[in-house]
Amino acid sequence: MKSNAQLGLSVRRTVLALLPLLLCFSSSYAYTEDPGDPDAIGHSADGVYLDFQPLGKIELPRIFLVRSADGGYRVDAFLSTHGALASGRYTLKSDFAPEAALLSAAQVDTVVKEHTHFKYPVVAAASGEIIFIDFSMTRQMVFVLLCGVILLVIGLSLAARYRKGIGADTAPQGAWQNMMEALIIFIRDEVAKPTIGEKYRKYLPYLLSVFIFILLGNLIGLLPWGVTATSGIAVTGALALITFSITQLSGSRDYWMHIFNPPGVPGFVKPIIVPVEILGLFTKPITLAVRLFANMLSGHLVIVSLLGLIFIFTAKIGTVAGWGSILVAVPMTIFIYMLKILVSIIQAYIFTMLSSLYFGLAVEEHGHGAHDHEHAVAQLPLP
Amino acid sequence: MEPVAYAYIAAGIAVLGAALGAGVGIGRLAASALEGMARQPEAGGDIRNTMIVAAAFIEGVALFGEIIAIILIFATG
Repeated sequence: MKSNAQLGLSVRRTVLALLPLLLCFSSSYAYTEDPGDPDAIGHSADGVYLDFQPLGKIELPRIFLVRSADGGYRVDAFLSTHGALASGRYTLKSDFAPEAALLSAAQVDTVVKEHTHFKYPVVAAASGEIIFIDFSMTRQMVFVLLCGVILLVIGLSLAARYRKGIGADTAPQGAWQNMMEALIIFIRDEVAKPTIGEKYRKYLPYLLSVFIFILLGNLIGLLPWGVTATSGIAVTGALALITFSITQLSGSRDYWMHIFNPPGVPGFVKPIIVPVEILGLFTKPITLAVRLFANMLSGHLVIVSLLGLIFIFTAKIGTVAGWGSILVAVPMTIFIYMLKILVSIIQAYIFTMLSSLYFGLAVEEHGHGAHDHEHAVAQLPLP
Repeated sequence: MEPVAYAYIAAGIAVLGAALGAGVGIGRLAASALEGMARQPEAGGDIRNTMIVAAAFIEGVALFGEIIAIILIFATG
């Protein structure tokens, strides 16, 4: 978690200066704005601004829970980082300096004048106060909310149609409903039913929500100016935490028995098996979170690295080599981009399927005693 | 050598190991899947779907290595 925070803090230069190139804007723009050295992390990491580069940037609200010098707590909210700085109670920390030194007043003035102050994500309280928790809105959060709203609209509008009888009594009408019904039936018949069994109905709403949410989050990140909400470990961690909670809350007697007193295991092995089982409880959601996060982050990094080759060749060898490397870098970027569309869908599917699998393990009741155990394990699909 | 240099070398080794393992894994997976499809062409669809999911898992492990490499570079450098 700490390392991710550091990733987030190392927003040095936004790489969206590269996007105009992708969008066939004039390439000279990229040179004047940010000459070479594109920061791979900057664009992929969280930040406190939305970047619509050729058109401008939107700063997001900063909300702090502050502990004052006398030990009291209060909430301090500003519409933008600029507002927080203008109040005089906050100053910027430089994430360039090793110990994140406070910037001097003159330095802060310069940074504000250059309109780069929001690229310094670390804001520090200037006068004896400590920022206890930083509740600032981040761009990933904005896109999480956006995905949530789209998910609500999709879900409620479809539900209203089915309640009216379109699709329930008659055949589904229109391309949209047909498309969504195919998706829903896929999750129900291919994911929920085989892994959970008879009790799948209780878990289907969550599985559908999480599938469509992750799919939206992944795909919106591929749009120009889009932010991949699922490329933040906090977002995927929260999703995994929900899966984890549902799994534990719906655990049957057999499930807990399995962990704390595995049937059919010799007594002397149990001191080894039980800790491993307990550890397994927590590694499942962690791998769930890291898998989605790593897949979504890496695609961006690979794209940025490939496009960055153009700038590296230009800086190291010359303009001609830079133009020449476009012939290699851009087709490869397009290939990776296509791969990312595939990965977006597969990762949404995998998250849903594994969640469903964990629910299935939790609700399973053996009924016929310990001997059924081997049979149940043999039926499990994949990991 | 400076400590940062070690971090960069470690990042390289992390990516090497992850890529090597994932390469071998996906290669074996594809080989088995092709064999299965050649023997039973009618099961090709199922095999392909399962193969893609398994490939995504293997890729995920490789990406863990990549993330560790990135953290090594950006947390130290």
